[in-house]
Amino acid sequence: MANLEAKTYMSTLQLMIVTITTCIGAQIMLSPRALIASLGQAAWISVIIGGVIFYIAACLMLKLGKQYPDETLVEYAPRLFGPLGGSVIVLWFNLLFFLQIIEIFSGVGKIITFFMFDRTPPEVVILGLLVVCTYCALQDWGTILRVQQFMFFVAYSMLTVVWLASMLNFQPENMLPLWTANGKNVISGGVSTWPMYSGYECVLLLLPLVYRQANFAKLAKIMGGAFGCMTLFFLMIIIIIIGVLTVENAKSIPYPALNVIRSVELPGTFIERLENYLLLTWIPVVFDTLAVMMFFMGQVCMRYYGYVDHRPWVLMLVPIVYVCSILLLDDQQVYDTISKYTLWAGLGFSFAVVPLSLILSWRQKRKAGARCG
Amino acid sequence: MAKKKILACMMLICLCMFTAGCWDRRELQERNFVLAVAIDTADAGMKPGVNPEQEPEVKRVETFVQPHGTKRYRLSLQLLKLGKNGDGKDKSKTYVISNTGDSMFEMARDMLGQSSKSLWFEHVQVIIISEAVLRQTGLGEILDFFKRDSEMRSRMRVYVTPGEARPFLEYIPPNKEAGGMYLSNMINLHVKNLHVPGKRTELASIIQYLDSNSNLVMNRIEMADKVVKLGGLVLFKKDKFIGYVDEYAVAGMKYIFGSEKSAIVTIPCPDHPDHQVIFELFRHDTRLRPHVDGDTIYFTLDINMYGNIGELQGDIELENTMDSQYVDKLESAFADEIKRTILYSMQISQNQMKVDILNLFASKLKAYEPDTWAKVKEQWEEIYPDIPLVISVNVSIRNIGSHR
Repeated sequence: MANLEAKTYMSTLQLMIVTITTCIGAQIMLSPRALIASLGQAAWISVIIGGVIFYIAACLMLKLGKQYPDETLVEYAPRLFGPLGGSVIVLWFNLLFFLQIIEIFSGVGKIITFFMFDRTPPEVVILGLLVVCTYCALQDWGTILRVQQFMFFVAYSMLTVVWLASMLNFQPENMLPLWTANGKNVISGGVSTWPMYSGYECVLLLLPLVYRQANFAKLAKIMGGAFGCMTLFFLMIIIIIIGVLTVENAKSIPYPALNVIRSVELPGTFIERLENYLLLTWIPVVFDTLAVMMFFMGQVCMRYYGYVDHRPWVLMLVPIVYVCSILLLDDQQVYDTISKYTLWAGLGFSFAVVPLSLILSWRQKRKAGARCG
Repeated sequence: MAKKKILACMMLICLCMFTAGCWDRRELQERNFVLAVAIDTADAGMKPGVNPEQEPEVKRVETFVQPHGTKRYRLSLQLLKLGKNGDGKDKSKTYVISNTGDSMFEMARDMLGQSSKSLWFEHVQVIIISEAVLRQTGLGEILDFFKRDSEMRSRMRVYVTPGEARPFLEYIPPNKEAGGMYLSNMINLHVKNLHVPGKRTELASIIQYLDSNSNLVMNRIEMADKVVKLGGLVLFKKDKFIGYVDEYAVAGMKYIFGSEKSAIVTIPCPDHPDHQVIFELFRHDTRLRPHVDGDTIYFTLDINMYGNIGELQGDIELENTMDSQYVDKLESAFADEIKRTILYSMQISQNQMKVDILNLFASKLKAYEPDTWAKVKEQWEEIYPDIPLVISVNVSIRNIGSHR
């Protein structure tokens, strides 16, 4: 019997939703402190600049994907860079998902343990989440897509509603001065927002599912919509954190988003300690990011080694993901180093590998055209 | 196939046992809810009713052997009684335990030796700190445990008392509320009480000011016999205790901050100075702005107030509140009184204390004149006492009440 969940196409709107749900995840809690600490008052401008920069990167990926309509990066990378170079590129691509996954698991384990289950070892929290994410990642794309769509409308709206409660403590003057004199810092800050936007690399795997329904202009427009939504969402997070806590306060707090919501008092209600509500709405958001990233990792391995099923690869990666996440728990220095390398790997992939691939593909096509006369 | 299913089910059940979060189960009846915290110096007096001869022995029993540091603090916790009050003679819903030491956390953990249940800090409503502790230690050190621990609420109130803090935990509110709740709720109406700073004095705001290296304020609480009252404020330069500010100056500061929602302004009647007229503020627009003219920095404060005549202590035959000329005179007199209050408050802040309260003026300059702020921020403490404030107050009486 045919597997009805093995989807071979999806709409451009679905691509937009998957991009958003892959990108917006754990980093809304994990990233703001470092961003505000390095950029201060101008962090919000860097978020906008980051949105534009990574939208350009995503468009380059769309352009590259359009060169090979029925294939993913895993198939055409060896043709562009040779067998060894191609393997390095595919490994690099998969490593991006892997590094992000272990960072997210580790960060989430720490947060949940500290704020919700202080007697439960983070290893157990990670294990529980890993089991659920693995179960989802073992499904076929049709099921995962439905989960993503459901989460997009339910979990994200709940998270937004809870988060907006922090507007009650918003002090507009904490945002002033709005503009910073150091433009160079702001632009380099824009680049450093990559951990927030990361995940858009998934288009290199998903394009074959949508390419027949849309030309490049339409895809670029849809991707613009996705990045517009993400930029607005991240702006909302950063602006509210600065507006409620001030830059100096946010710098001293490991997870400022949770402290923002923690000081909210809803007058006339029995609802207290809103950070627990925020965490409860954040967990599904983290889950869908992790599940889809694990699925992508399985897909990359499956395609690279010529298998027809991604599931054995997902199951094989689970213990590696678990052990690496646990190793990151105890040493903040290692965590910071991995984060730094992930950032460089992500930027290198988007702004070196993809443009180079594009150039190589154009050159190869020109050569092929010349040969054909 | 069936064997596989059974195996899968068994694995799932085993997994549930390890991942269901039961490790964090804490039964309600196994908790001791801490409602209020008092922090005194270690040598502060004992609780009421203890025989002075027994004091050293009680202190020895309360505390623990401490290998490092000196015992600087006495931490007292007000705990909620969950059982029935026995014969009904004991009217208090709470009881208090104390300990002395150098670390709040260590004292709290050692206090488990005085408790049959675990201490639960999630419902702490108020922290009362004695002046003596603040003179001895910076506020940052005192509050570190409360800002660091995830169990604590960010909205808990923090008060300072000139006397000892522990007696507040022994206080039995007349309305039979639990002590910590009563003390915390007292601040809730600060928007209607000009004599209490209220706004931005809860733990989260205090931490915010400490992190920003700003000057901060806290509410002052006092107790005499069975009277407990909030009034005036306690001023800090960074995290160092500076002194107290009286209620009249607090009113002026609230006008400058625009943090009052309602206010009562009392003036002598312009025509008959032995009579009193009272204005009740309903709404205001307050705007404090910095200006830079060459090397000169000055601030303008524009206040528009709207309200009613709330009370007249005099002869209504002589003071006709329906006479528009009389109302004009009143508006001008109220504006002058508000200006006077603000100037008094500025005099305390600039000349007496020499502290930019809550860094209000500094934050306005930073926000609206960032270039000038960058130049003067290092010398701000020296510049601030000489910064001119140009005040403009306009009072509008919208109603005279329901009687002339």
